[in-house]
Amino acid sequence: MNALMGFLEKYMLPVAEKIQGQKHLQSVRDGIILAMPLIIVGSIFLIIANLPIPGFSHFMAGVFGADWSKKFSYPINATFSIMSIIVCFGIAYRLAERHKVDALSSGAIALSAFILSTPQVLMFTPEGAKKAIEVPGVIPVTLMGSQGLFVAMIIALFSAEVYRKVIQKEFVIKMPQGVPPAVSKSFTALIPAFIVLTIVWIVRLILEATSLQDLHHLINLIITTPLSFLGGSLWGMLIAVLAIQLLWCFGLHGDAIIVDSLMAPIWLALMDQNRQVYMANHHADLPNIITAPFYNIWVTAGGSGLTLGLVLLMMFRARSKQMKQLGKIAAAPSLFNINEPAIFGTPIVMNPIMMIPFILTPLIVVLVTYFSMASGLVAKPNGVLIPWTTPLGISGFLATGKISGGAVQIVNLIISILIYYPFLRLYDKQKYQEEHTPSQTNESFDGSVNV
Amino acid sequence: MNILLCCAGGMSTSLLVTKMREAAEGKGMEINISAVGLNEVDQHIDDADILLLGPQVRYKLVELKKLTEEKGIPIDVINPIDYGMVNGKNVLEHALTFQK
Repeated sequence: MNALMGFLEKYMLPVAEKIQGQKHLQSVRDGIILAMPLIIVGSIFLIIANLPIPGFSHFMAGVFGADWSKKFSYPINATFSIMSIIVCFGIAYRLAERHKVDALSSGAIALSAFILSTPQVLMFTPEGAKKAIEVPGVIPVTLMGSQGLFVAMIIALFSAEVYRKVIQKEFVIKMPQGVPPAVSKSFTALIPAFIVLTIVWIVRLILEATSLQDLHHLINLIITTPLSFLGGSLWGMLIAVLAIQLLWCFGLHGDAIIVDSLMAPIWLALMDQNRQVYMANHHADLPNIITAPFYNIWVTAGGSGLTLGLVLLMMFRARSKQMKQLGKIAAAPSLFNINEPAIFGTPIVMNPIMMIPFILTPLIVVLVTYFSMASGLVAKPNGVLIPWTTPLGISGFLATGKISGGAVQIVNLIISILIYYPFLRLYDKQKYQEEHTPSQTNESFDGSVNV
Repeated sequence: MNILLCCAGGMSTSLLVTKMREAAEGKGMEINISAVGLNEVDQHIDDADILLLGPQVRYKLVELKKLTEEKGIPIDVINPIDYGMVNGKNVLEHALTFQK
């Protein structure tokens, strides 16, 4: 077993290093992180606008006027609906920063390129009219939100790469000495900006001449749709969860590696599709189950591997000193979904007994949650994004606006307790025996794990 | 002395910070200990005398080592069991062994 572990560790660590160290993936992650606080703030307004309290709507109408829910949509539209702008700027900024070239210019150029790739028209059907008319002079907000996310990502990466290549090749306008640095900098940005915008412009002209219309249509066709199909499927979720749990089993931060670097844009876009449908009609059937909150709120309730159940067992059922002590240490953080104490203290890492329920539990919870939502028993995530540190029960309620969202978390907690129970018993018994075999106590406590 | 701890989001290391501060107070030592996420290491590294990584982000060791070598400060990964048991005393003592 140890040889196998050593073998896997040898090959897993470099893969994790590669995924997490990859400059472009890192920058995409940073760009998305930049938009997160805004989306969470927008979510607060979304939650308030939809509080399922009788009489609340009447009360709000009294305070804000009859169209109060429209007024609450203003901040939602300025956060959720422009996430691609923020992400585009953030990615180009961070990527330039990683290459040690001027980040602010890079961000500005990418933003301009993103708008350039977007047709500034809107199809609008006036009341009573049969045909839609083209309204010029607008930036279509629909493409600035989650729908434009992949275009924003690609444009930002492309723009920042061209920018830094041009700068680093010193193909820039050099100013004589004595020119203030800011002036020189603005000229420096000219050539790369010109190159980036010209390329994006030509691409737009070419696409316009074909049936593909524009970059948004093209990317949607060849990237967004297939990725959403794979990442948004039940299988996609199961495979992602399996990979995340395996990484944790080797003591590596699976969530940071798989979710933040790879899955976040896909799951976020799927979440926002739900939000758009939900805002248009609260009683509509929401299109997606697999979304960012599905993972953050249900699959990792109590921490990756749903270890809150394990920690509760340690507190109330364990006999060995080590497990009892760990239960006390790990309980409070686990309530807020932080479970490094459980993962490294038990340890689950490199522990053949505890790895089994650690991998099994979240997979079962994915299935239970998925099918309870698919069958209509539990409400689907309505597109609200809340901090992942929100305790279970509350988080499920907030992310769906329905009690059932929290209730299924409690059911999942019970499932996790049932799965962990036999394994913890076995492991706890081992620990108990070690503690009561005087000569070996210290040695086994320190030497049982070699990471 | 300034000890900088780092994990993915700076969440679980912040647990450890509290315990390490207690341990430092117990020793009557004046030590600054703070925890940050991976994204923020760049901004805080200049004030640090040592950088300690949570074991779950040890895949960043190679990359961050370049940074700490530039600054001429030591870097290490926290012992997983000490990390799990939030053993501030052990981690503090480990950090102090790097002190010149």
